[in-house]
Amino acid sequence: MTQTLTATDAKRRKAAAAHADPGSRSVERFAYLFVLPALALVVVFRIIPLIWGFGYSFTNYDGMSTPRFVGLDNYVGIAHDPVFLDSLVNMLILLATLPIWIGLPLVLAILIHQGVPGGKLFRAVYFFPAVLSSVIVGAIFNVLLRYDGSFNLFLKAMGFSAVDWLGNSSTALFSLIAVQLWSTFGMSLLIFIAGLSTVSAEMLEAAKLDGAKLLQTWWHIVIPSIRPIIEFAAVVTTIGMLTSMFGLIYVLTAGGPGTSTILPEFLIWLEQGKMNRPGYASAISMVLFLLMAGLAAIQIRIMSRNADI
Amino acid sequence: MAEVKTREKRILWIISIPMALLALSAVYPVFFAINAALKTRKGYVLDRFGLTTDPTFANFAQAWNQSRLSEYFTNSVVVTVGAVLVLLVVASMAGFALAILRFRGRKIIFVAILVSLMIPVQVVLVPFYRTMIGLHLVDSRPGLIIAYTAFFLPFSVYLMTAFYARLPRELFEAAQIDGANLLKVWWHIMLPMGKPALLTLGILNTLYCWNDVLISLLVLQDQRTLMVGIAALRGEYTTNVPLLAAGICLAAAPIVILYVIFQRQIVNGIAVGAVKG
Repeated sequence: MTQTLTATDAKRRKAAAAHADPGSRSVERFAYLFVLPALALVVVFRIIPLIWGFGYSFTNYDGMSTPRFVGLDNYVGIAHDPVFLDSLVNMLILLATLPIWIGLPLVLAILIHQGVPGGKLFRAVYFFPAVLSSVIVGAIFNVLLRYDGSFNLFLKAMGFSAVDWLGNSSTALFSLIAVQLWSTFGMSLLIFIAGLSTVSAEMLEAAKLDGAKLLQTWWHIVIPSIRPIIEFAAVVTTIGMLTSMFGLIYVLTAGGPGTSTILPEFLIWLEQGKMNRPGYASAISMVLFLLMAGLAAIQIRIMSRNADI
Repeated sequence: MAEVKTREKRILWIISIPMALLALSAVYPVFFAINAALKTRKGYVLDRFGLTTDPTFANFAQAWNQSRLSEYFTNSVVVTVGAVLVLLVVASMAGFALAILRFRGRKIIFVAILVSLMIPVQVVLVPFYRTMIGLHLVDSRPGLIIAYTAFFLPFSVYLMTAFYARLPRELFEAAQIDGANLLKVWWHIMLPMGKPALLTLGILNTLYCWNDVLISLLVLQDQRTLMVGIAALRGEYTTNVPLLAAGICLAAAPIVILYVIFQRQIVNGIAVGAVKG
């Protein structure tokens, strides 16, 4: 009996070994066949287009005649393009609001974690706008933020004067940013709540016994212990700022008034719609890609540093 | 000590008041849309914010029939269901191979798929569009399904690979000894075992596909998905808010229902993606 078992075991181990062996031809062929659809989709629709766009950005291609190499002309061109420069300034203003995008959900997450009455409900409700399409959010806020909309009605009731939030170039960008923040802060909130659940309760209790005040325990214990999560959320939020604003801009402000709400990703769309200078549009794309690559590098550094600890 | 506890409790109660106001603001816009959709055009002009007294469903009928939302709705359903199914099959196949099978180039392929996460559609807009034209995929629903799959795939592959890598290897080895071929192993073991991850991915990808506007705008021309249709409706009917609101409600309803039913999976999926990612 024992012997039979051992024999089966040996057979099993041998079979397993056959699979661990990279030389197992049929397994290899099967594996390639199984990753092929995923790999092909990614290579054909993302990696090759990236290389192709990189090439375009150095040509004067107009969509019809043979492209000619023009060196950095497109890049010099965008550097002198007032619309592109405006889009960069808008982007910098957006990026400068990052502390609010992190701070607001972080404070709310800590409060929910501390057991605010109705915390579970708050979590579900705060996240709710994040599942709605930016088209839905944009279309509703386009009505709410009109001169005669709900928001101004509310302000007037509070004794303030009405503002044409979307029609005024000094307020349109902040309105856009506020709406996007309103509709997506639930995402970071979920990330922080998940992170907080790993903070040890004993540490908090010990701090309390030492007489630490609520805010002190937050600042000295809770926030440092989820620092990697905060850094992660900051990178993810920044990536979102660079690449997830299109839908809202498209519906809420269409980039206007003037260039006041054009961000680089929206400008790429406007440029590609003209169809006659893909080289120029590609140059803007490459700038956006460089920013994304920089963020990816930071993300990888954060992740590997955390792995070292 | 007990005194500290009660004081802390009282503070939390007080804090919950502004939090409740914030929660109200999170649902107000949707409430506004529903309320406006139930008013007649005249009723809305007379009283934009008050609760509707005699609700009408005429706006829904008009949006559905005359504004072609029924057609856009069908397009969105077909494309979303198609893309999610393709995504799940392709991601599960790739995850199985990458997590369990041994083959040369495994790491490089995994990294290549992950790196493409850093290539959003805006970065490749022009060449991607030209690729779609070259492959005759523009203005077709299958084309949009393929485009969605290409752009939402990397995260799905990552999650399936991570999920399968945590399964006990014995499962797979036992099946091997029973002489099942790998295709059968995938179908009879990997797909059923992957159910929790596939469910999460199915829901998240449904959200992404249904809510997308950029890829759809780019790929479809004569046809429209629902979100592109709503964006157009916004431009056409700036003064007929009840009609626009009815369209918004129709477009958001499936997602709201999905969120109510699968809230746990959605919340966990976001958190897992974040903390593990």
